[in-house]
Amino acid sequence: MLKPRALSDVLSQANTGGIGSTLLLNSEGSLLAFSGFGDKDASAAGAIASNIWTSFQKSGQLSLDDNKLDCVLVECKLGKIAITKVANLLLCLCSEDGVSFGMLKTKITALSSYLEEPLSQIASS
Amino acid sequence: MKKKVLLMGKSGSGKTSMRSIIFANYIARDTRRLGATIDVEHSHVRFLGNLVLNLWDCGGQEAFMENYFASQRDNIFRNVEVLIYVFDVESRELEKDIHYYQSCLEAILQNSPEAKVFCLIHKMDLVQDDQREIIFQERQEDLKRLSKPLECTCFATSIWDETLYKAWSSIVYQLIPNVSQLEENLSNFATILDADEVLLFEKATFLVISYTERIQHRDVHRFEKISNIIKQFKLSCSKIGASFESMEVRNSSFAAFIETFTSNMVVMVVMSDTSIPSAATQLNIKSARKHFEKLEIPMGPQRGMGAMTAK
Repeated sequence: MLKPRALSDVLSQANTGGIGSTLLLNSEGSLLAFSGFGDKDASAAGAIASNIWTSFQKSGQLSLDDNKLDCVLVECKLGKIAITKVANLLLCLCSEDGVSFGMLKTKITALSSYLEEPLSQIASS
Repeated sequence: MKKKVLLMGKSGSGKTSMRSIIFANYIARDTRRLGATIDVEHSHVRFLGNLVLNLWDCGGQEAFMENYFASQRDNIFRNVEVLIYVFDVESRELEKDIHYYQSCLEAILQNSPEAKVFCLIHKMDLVQDDQREIIFQERQEDLKRLSKPLECTCFATSIWDETLYKAWSSIVYQLIPNVSQLEENLSNFATILDADEVLLFEKATFLVISYTERIQHRDVHRFEKISNIIKQFKLSCSKIGASFESMEVRNSSFAAFIETFTSNMVVMVVMSDTSIPSAATQLNIKSARKHFEKLEIPMGPQRGMGAMTAK
């Protein structure tokens, strides 16, 4: 089972050096845990991120015959977003513009490998 | 596992109505069409999977009552787990009611001395609001005194509000064999979830069978109120052919999740930390299901269990 507050704490560890918020979504796009959103709506961001991921995965399936999407990096006007798959969930990091993609990718890879085992246990239960 | 429950009381005191509402999905209004029970009506109610409540709804007309104490005495009063005696609060024949009650107690003492006795002071809706507590306390005192050496637990009930659920929840709670194990597990569950409280309801009757409270709440009657409300909602759903599965209630101060939990139980989780997303709690409830399924009363030898007989 998930301890919601503990999970939030783990996610907040990524929120340094320009990375503003982190979220964990389930396969349906609903928010499972988040950290760092302040008073902004995390669920909207989650829904958008989940949507982006699914569209890329589907197009990859169609055009490249490969649905093993690893990571999606998005450059927006006011920041950057990284999305990746952890167990059967989606992990999403949102940063300001000043953060480089390399750093973003490194952080998301580190966090996802850390969360992979515990979250797989929950997924399989 | 069969447990025998005797439902006794004077004619017209409300025994069959109560039974119909709790076990046969009647709403209070439907009970108007119930007639007098002839002799004893037996019903086997499946509760929590493998517990079968063998309900003896004994007709209260004098002729039958006399019979119970005479020729049917052993048959009726043997192997009783619970005796529920219903008193009509408006009865004009208090002396007679007490007399019959005491005869029951005598028979119980002889045949099933370990039985638990519950006295329901029923039809409290007919008593004025401000009088209710006083009248109930009076009756309770009398009954406790008259019941000695047996102990009786008294409840004020009415089919028109949640008090019926409170009484029956308490009664049924006594019959569940592994209740403390359930509560321990529920308590661990609540701690992991960070929930304020977690309740377990029996699926068909919506009686509260177990609960754990991490944060105190000021309304002590909330459980039966919830039972009443959700049961009514569930019945309305069935009327339009839908079966109740789950409900999420959320506002700025709390989030409550009511979900079908195991094949026989419904769980209600109340969280006051509204920042925890619903999906997390629902995921946890899903993960805990298997564990609680195992806790349900272990499978005993299967015998042909009759379905619930309803009027």
